[in-house]
Amino acid sequence: MTTPEEHILEVLKGLPVLMTRSHRLFLSIPREDLIKTMNILSSELAIQHLSTITARDKGNDLELLYHFMLQGVVITIKTTCPKNDPTIDSIVTIFPSAILYEREIHDILGIVPRGHPDLRRLVLPDEWVGGYPLRKDWKPPAEQEAEE
Amino acid sequence: MGYVKLPIGPQHPALKEPENFTITLDGERVVNVDIRIGYIHRGIEKLMETRTYTQNLYLVERICGICSYAHVYNFTQNVEEILGLQIPKRAEYIRTLFLELERLHSHFLWLGVAGHEIGFDTLFMYTWQDREVVQDLLEMISGNRVNYAMNAIGGVRRDVSQEHRKKVLESMDYLEKRAEFYKNVAINEKTILARAENVGILKPQVALRLTAVGPTARASGISVDIRKDDPYASYLDTPFEVITTDTNDVLGRVVVRVLEIVESIKIIRYLMEHLPEGDILKKAPRKIPEGESISHTEAPRGEDIHYLHSNGTEKPDRYKVRTPTLANLPATAEMLKETYLADVPIIVAAIDPCMGCMDRVLLLKDGQEKPGELISGEQLRRYGIKWYAERGWNA
Repeated sequence: MTTPEEHILEVLKGLPVLMTRSHRLFLSIPREDLIKTMNILSSELAIQHLSTITARDKGNDLELLYHFMLQGVVITIKTTCPKNDPTIDSIVTIFPSAILYEREIHDILGIVPRGHPDLRRLVLPDEWVGGYPLRKDWKPPAEQEAEE
Repeated sequence: MGYVKLPIGPQHPALKEPENFTITLDGERVVNVDIRIGYIHRGIEKLMETRTYTQNLYLVERICGICSYAHVYNFTQNVEEILGLQIPKRAEYIRTLFLELERLHSHFLWLGVAGHEIGFDTLFMYTWQDREVVQDLLEMISGNRVNYAMNAIGGVRRDVSQEHRKKVLESMDYLEKRAEFYKNVAINEKTILARAENVGILKPQVALRLTAVGPTARASGISVDIRKDDPYASYLDTPFEVITTDTNDVLGRVVVRVLEIVESIKIIRYLMEHLPEGDILKKAPRKIPEGESISHTEAPRGEDIHYLHSNGTEKPDRYKVRTPTLANLPATAEMLKETYLADVPIIVAAIDPCMGCMDRVLLLKDGQEKPGELISGEQLRRYGIKWYAERGWNA
């Protein structure tokens, strides 16, 4: 009997998949390949469970991590976008549950998912103008004003 | 007749926590639902980047007041994975005990809230009385009722004594009898059947597509449980069943949770009868090497997933939390469509929402508000009228 990991590795053969421990797979891709990879996950692996999207500030780049789950195995697709062009293709049409997670990363890190149907704020107030709080160079509004 | 847009919340007597539902109604029938969250956003993810790992142990626990242990468990598991630290077996068993005691008290609490939402307050009084039995056990072992402060990086901080074991086993006998009683109530009580049967339908294919998690998914016949799928703590040793029903409605969500109470009691008995001897804590360094780790657990409400990126210092570089309620929101909006307005509270309650956990991510005000920012009640009233007017609603 093949384990879920073996099955996934077999389908994703040829791609640089990294297994850090049992039930944890990572795959780094350039952002141009995002939709292509998502389609493979959706059609060939029949994955439906997108657990969440993490985004983090890496300095010059912003890194995105799409965490999927298939039979208990967490598959994380990693990609980056530069800070001076923080855009990424939206995956909502392939994984509808991404709708809230893409709104969240837009809110707190200023990453724009191209083609997202509804980019209202999610966690921040509607009238928020204080920037993107989870970027490393962000300061609370009171400190921003004190410096000016 | 035209549609009516009804804003419920952020502050509303029917809601236990602040969130906003904008419900489009055709008479009594719900046509569309828009859910706005973020009203209790506390900035915990940002705050965690400024605290040491030891301080974060206690901060991460405060994400939620009910499933606090699921969060702290995820956090310690992430840090231990990056350290490559294997914790003592006795500590794993004690952690599993807390995970299951937490599920017990959370499910009892939910059963009461569900009873309250359908006007069945007797059930609320009964279940919350039984929940106290679990709370007493938690307090006996950890010293705390809500945020137990049990975990340390490398193990647990308090041991389970022989007397504790005896008391836990006695309480399980009592709770098992009560669980049988609730099982009977859930399946036969007319009030529950009238309000829960065929209400808030979530079809399995919709639940899968919108990634519903936890009891919400399991009541739609989807056998997903992280305890079985990706075993953590000592779940690999522990025999238990994954409970599913195929009724896809609120009643199914009641039944799943009641039967899960029975399973949790079984797990706790097994743990107490097979508790290994040995140490409970291993020493861990203060600085965590560079690395990343993902941990997910089956919290009482479903999959709770945490991501940690460390950079070799005493503080995390990035910590991300996704709580089960956020994952269940798109499915909730689906469940509410085509139902009646009077069923909205119980359908929302049936996912066991926890807005406090969900909103956690950032700092809105940093505690140094300028005096001019305090506004009077009258200003707040005018602001509210303006806010709704801008969005096309009449005050």
